[in-house]
Amino acid sequence: MLTKVVDLRSDTVTKPSEAMRAAMAAADVDDDVLGSDPTAHRFETEMARMMGKEAALFVPSGTMANLVSVLVHCDTRGSEVILGDNSHIHIYENGGMSTIGGVHPRTVHNNPDGTMDIDKIVAAIRHPNGGLCYPTTRLICLENTHGNYGGKCLSVEYTDKVGEVAKTHGLKLHIDGARIFNASVALGVPVDRLVRAADSVSVCLSKGLGAPVGSVIVGSKDFIEKAKILRKTLGGGMRQVGVLCAAAHVGVRDTVGKLADDHRRAKVLADGLEKIKQLTVDLTSVETNMVYFDITDPLISPGKLCQVLEQRNVLAMAVSSKSVRLVTHYQISDRDVQHALTCIEEAVEEILSGNAKSEHLTNGLTANSYGN
Amino acid sequence: MVTKVVDLRSDTVTKPSEPMRAAMAAADVDDDVLGADPTAQRFEAEMARIMGKEAALFVPSGTMANLVSVLVHCDARGSEVILGDNSHIHIYENGGIATIGGVHPKTVTNNPDGTMDIDRIVAAIRHKEGSLYYPTTRLICLENTHANCGGKCLSVEYTDKVGEVAKSHGLKLHIDGARIFNASVALGVPVDRLVRAADSVSVCLSKGLGAPVGSVIVGSKAFIDKAKILRKTLGGGMRQVGILCAAAYVGVRDTVGKLADDHRKAKVLADGLKKIKQFTVDLTSVETNMVFFDIADPRITPDKLCQVLEQRNVLAMPASSKSVRLVIHYQISDSDVQHALTCIEKAVEEILSGSAKFDHLTNGSTANSYGH
Repeated sequence: MLTKVVDLRSDTVTKPSEAMRAAMAAADVDDDVLGSDPTAHRFETEMARMMGKEAALFVPSGTMANLVSVLVHCDTRGSEVILGDNSHIHIYENGGMSTIGGVHPRTVHNNPDGTMDIDKIVAAIRHPNGGLCYPTTRLICLENTHGNYGGKCLSVEYTDKVGEVAKTHGLKLHIDGARIFNASVALGVPVDRLVRAADSVSVCLSKGLGAPVGSVIVGSKDFIEKAKILRKTLGGGMRQVGVLCAAAHVGVRDTVGKLADDHRRAKVLADGLEKIKQLTVDLTSVETNMVYFDITDPLISPGKLCQVLEQRNVLAMAVSSKSVRLVTHYQISDRDVQHALTCIEEAVEEILSGNAKSEHLTNGLTANSYGN
Repeated sequence: MVTKVVDLRSDTVTKPSEPMRAAMAAADVDDDVLGADPTAQRFEAEMARIMGKEAALFVPSGTMANLVSVLVHCDARGSEVILGDNSHIHIYENGGIATIGGVHPKTVTNNPDGTMDIDRIVAAIRHKEGSLYYPTTRLICLENTHANCGGKCLSVEYTDKVGEVAKSHGLKLHIDGARIFNASVALGVPVDRLVRAADSVSVCLSKGLGAPVGSVIVGSKAFIDKAKILRKTLGGGMRQVGILCAAAYVGVRDTVGKLADDHRKAKVLADGLKKIKQFTVDLTSVETNMVFFDIADPRITPDKLCQVLEQRNVLAMPASSKSVRLVIHYQISDSDVQHALTCIEKAVEEILSGSAKFDHLTNGSTANSYGH
């Protein structure tokens, strides 16, 4: 009998639903490079509308969405972008904006709530008088929800304030909105209002929304026209891509409404973890679908805990020398959450009693457990 | 009643077949970034085996396949690559190897048969003594079949010779094998033998093989390990990508065997075009699935001809100020070929008689009619 694997490593593990599979198989497609794939066209139009922007572009990944956005905003040599020192773009995207795009990053300290202090952002903007020595600041990037800080939401007030700073200084604002729908749902703010101040937003379809592949970039018509060329240049121009857009469209239609449940389950998970005395959880920091917990008992390491959990078919992600991350998504049920909690309790006991067998991780977990 | 459109613009227009759609809907998938998608893994292993290389990597497009390959071979700053002046990489990939990758191109004249003279290749290799002024040559790129030269095949003898030149000068050899299966079939040479001299090959699945999206890169294990990271950096790391690999697998399984028919139909088309006195066709130059014809009558321009054809639901691609390209694929039947010939004859008469009406092109054909 095959035991179900409860995969809490990330919301990227969501597999396409039956409705998605049917949509993919039936998708009306055409060559999206030579002309326009009708399903892609419809989906991009719909995403632009939902996000309150003029146009949208489907891309293979969030990494490409951010890379294209930064490079289009910073198309002149000698550009600099202000972003969080703990942001996904800075930490987990291979430094691509620099190594591939020639753009210089200027990091500002990320607070535990995902924000950067406004005065620190302003201080980081290069003075035009220093043009002989300075790169030129062109762009500010925010991340909402903020992944490394536990899926924290940036409020619409904060976002608008950063937007004003950008405008005052002639800069653009890009939001890495991989999980923007989670933020919108948790804050109770319509997603188009939430990103109104932004010139561009990247939105993932393949995370909590459950699509197999892809992200969209939204922005002005001009911006998206340039983005399309850069997408082609990077190699993201796909042919009958409507196959993927069909699934993404189902994701947006069917799964945004389930995100509130993911958030509720994350809180249930956090409450349960708090009760385990070897673990500590900051319950107030669970705002969306991510739960980080620290291990206070030195006998238990995150790597060991995840190994023992894997033996019980529960997958989690060790994120530092003393903490573990769990991410809920709509393919994790209430029962899965209870099961995971039971397994975690048992795993802790097993390790402390000295009974745990440490096998080499088979699912590529430690090698690839970054930035997802 | 909807008249069927006979689309001869490119073999990229092929739409996924029923078996492909079924395979996509049923694909066993997982997060290919976090671990390994089983369908992608199986497909990549099979492609490596077919091509006689150690490993393979699925990417969203031929452009990314070539870009990744060039950049991995040329990972040191100050690199130069030798390639044909009429090659797809040089003309139709947005200059990405330079603008994105910082690699310098050194072009050598492409002969009408798609080759570059061996002595000219050797002459283009930078002398080490000049390294104070010269970039360092690291790579030679061939293209097989050669698209701009009419779908011409590079023989295995020629490929091996270039491989020897590369080896004796410490260079790598990459083959842009977007249509390598067409070459293999036309030459009667097994595809693995044809590319044996190459360190890496890019192979399109979305052209004549009919898959909706994607290409593969094949090469050594060490090369593919680096390629995987660069693919991620460019934004080509896709999640449940087995969806696309399932369709690609069907393409390789079902459509390679149909390529010989495409070549036969191309010759029938060429023969028919030759009979139209306003055109000239070099019948000996039709080696695979492409037919280029020149328009000898100055009253007929390629654009005009393509517009009038579009009104008859036949799509073709202007290739220059006086030539047109037609590409055969397995979704073009023998009767489609005859129908196209009839329409072309009628279109010519219509233009010459002055009765043709010219609408603005709706299928984006002139705007996007480059490089497919």
